[in-house]
Amino acid sequence: MNYAIALDYQNCINCQACEVACKEENGVQLGAKKQRIWVGMVEGTIFGKPYANIYPSQCNHCIDAPCVTVCPTNASHYQPGGIVKVNSKQCILCKSCMEACPYDARFVDDTRVTIDKCTFCDHRIVEEGTTACQATCPTKVRTFGDLDDPTSDIVKLLQTRRFFFQKEYTGTLPKLFYLLPEDDAYARQSVSAGTNIYTWKDIEPLYQQANTRRSKEWRR
Amino acid sequence: METINFAGVDINKVSLKRLLLSKTMLSAYVLVAIALVGVYDLFHLRYFSGAVSAHDAGLNPADPGMIAAMKQAVFGTVGEIDRTQPWTVLIANYMYMVYTGSGVIFLVALAEFMNFRIVGKAAAGFMVAGISMIFAGMFTIATDLHLLNMHYMLLTPNFNAGIWLMLPLYCTYIPFVLFEIYLLLTNKREMARRMALPILILALGIDLIEYYIQAKLFSMNTARHLWTEFPALTFYFIISAFVAGLGVMGVYTYLVHRKKPEYHSLMDLIRKAMLTFVFLLGLYEIIGYMTVDKDWAYLILLGPFSYVYFLGYILLTLALPFLFIVKPGKPIWTVIASLLILVGSYIGRYLFVYGGNANPMSNRFGTGYESYSIYSKAESFIYNSPHLGEILIVIGSVGVAMIIYKLLNALFSVGKLREHH
Repeated sequence: MNYAIALDYQNCINCQACEVACKEENGVQLGAKKQRIWVGMVEGTIFGKPYANIYPSQCNHCIDAPCVTVCPTNASHYQPGGIVKVNSKQCILCKSCMEACPYDARFVDDTRVTIDKCTFCDHRIVEEGTTACQATCPTKVRTFGDLDDPTSDIVKLLQTRRFFFQKEYTGTLPKLFYLLPEDDAYARQSVSAGTNIYTWKDIEPLYQQANTRRSKEWRR
Repeated sequence: METINFAGVDINKVSLKRLLLSKTMLSAYVLVAIALVGVYDLFHLRYFSGAVSAHDAGLNPADPGMIAAMKQAVFGTVGEIDRTQPWTVLIANYMYMVYTGSGVIFLVALAEFMNFRIVGKAAAGFMVAGISMIFAGMFTIATDLHLLNMHYMLLTPNFNAGIWLMLPLYCTYIPFVLFEIYLLLTNKREMARRMALPILILALGIDLIEYYIQAKLFSMNTARHLWTEFPALTFYFIISAFVAGLGVMGVYTYLVHRKKPEYHSLMDLIRKAMLTFVFLLGLYEIIGYMTVDKDWAYLILLGPFSYVYFLGYILLTLALPFLFIVKPGKPIWTVIASLLILVGSYIGRYLFVYGGNANPMSNRFGTGYESYSIYSKAESFIYNSPHLGEILIVIGSVGVAMIIYKLLNALFSVGKLREHH
């Protein structure tokens, strides 16, 4: 198993229902900056014409997660399916994982005095088959699934679309696949010139290799 | 003064009043009291602030405490740590105290290895000053951690993590330094003489390992390019610690040895060493910022941190001290340079910690800095001032160093110049 999410962000209408669903499902701390998932926004102009890009985001559950490497007590760890989680009982609040994360995906949960982050709703995968954020999205931005299963929705989707990753240069092998917008104008304004665009054929061997390398750790 | 000999060390028979109620100790108590107020403030924020989760809100929607906490969550800020800037002034203070203290100890070991006899005579005092600073740093970092879970450092260790490596490092380093101090103080001269060289070589090795681990701790944060791209971070930490350490040694020598005949020669040696390492650090700063990621280099050299960098760090740590000590003169110039270095080095550590977080991680797609929601603005620069509790702990940590030094000095007269074994 190798869980991941594909994000068709051109469909996002910034309703933030995913943020609310996540908070409710997981009992996340209340507060504007206390979010496991969020809808980020970049505003700018191209030749005086204003635009706004909307990027739903969360923990990338990287295959080579730096937050796991730096954690002194193994509180940050991998779960089956490559889900990166935090064991709150083991967390000494050194905040190294927050410093190591390239995506600012972690925060301090003051109700439990620990680091908190997205868990891909691992408690409901077996029963519901998906995450709260996917289930609640009215425009089907997110597709959650298993990259190892060629019949899964996510693999089928990735086989038909081109995609890219956030901060790919950090070499962490992230597992949020951002689908390149089909609308050319939106694609141009929301992806930088230096971003690498992939197809499933390009990336599949790399992720399979990484999966094999990590699978022992994921089962532990 | 009358002494008791224990394990070859003369211990002064000092009254409790003199030991615990001297002027220095009383002022140290005031500083520690300030720190305790800070600890109270910080722990209150960490453990007892009005924070609620979405589930709490669902279960007790009408509870007055809940309503207050929800208001706070919506209109205020909750908790101690901002997600965009996890490490704060407590880490900067830890770095300053521990690196500088270790710098003093490393320098003394080096000087002894190179047979500078005058440093050997004053070695015990310098080393106790150094270890006192290390304890002050430990005190600071202890307040920053969730101590109730610290036993997991032993139960579920991650041997590769920089933070975990601190545990075996300091469990080895501190007793080792204390043993070095014991060897300097003991009357068992034959044993001390036989052990001197191996211990000295071991000491140099441990000092090097210490700075290597400190550098690893920062350079593991792959996304923070100030920390990962600064060239040869281990050696940068060593050189900058030497400069700060010499600042401590300069001030210490003035305070403790100024009426002794060796004062001038000791100060002259400190001046020469300071000149060498200030020059090296200057070179490091020039080369370093040529290699650091442009986003970070811009923020520090030309952006909002530039005044602090040039007028705080560069002027006080490098430029002015260099001017004061470049020509041999009265020792007072070295003392002034030392004082400036003590302040400037602190600013340097502060910049290093805050600078690492200054460039937001929210430039995720290469299209610009992202705001977290429609209600917040995109930030192209991160800086949150430390809050009062943190500042009080930093001030109070000086008291911790003072108490440790003063106790050891009262009992063992470490400030006395001794003939080397």
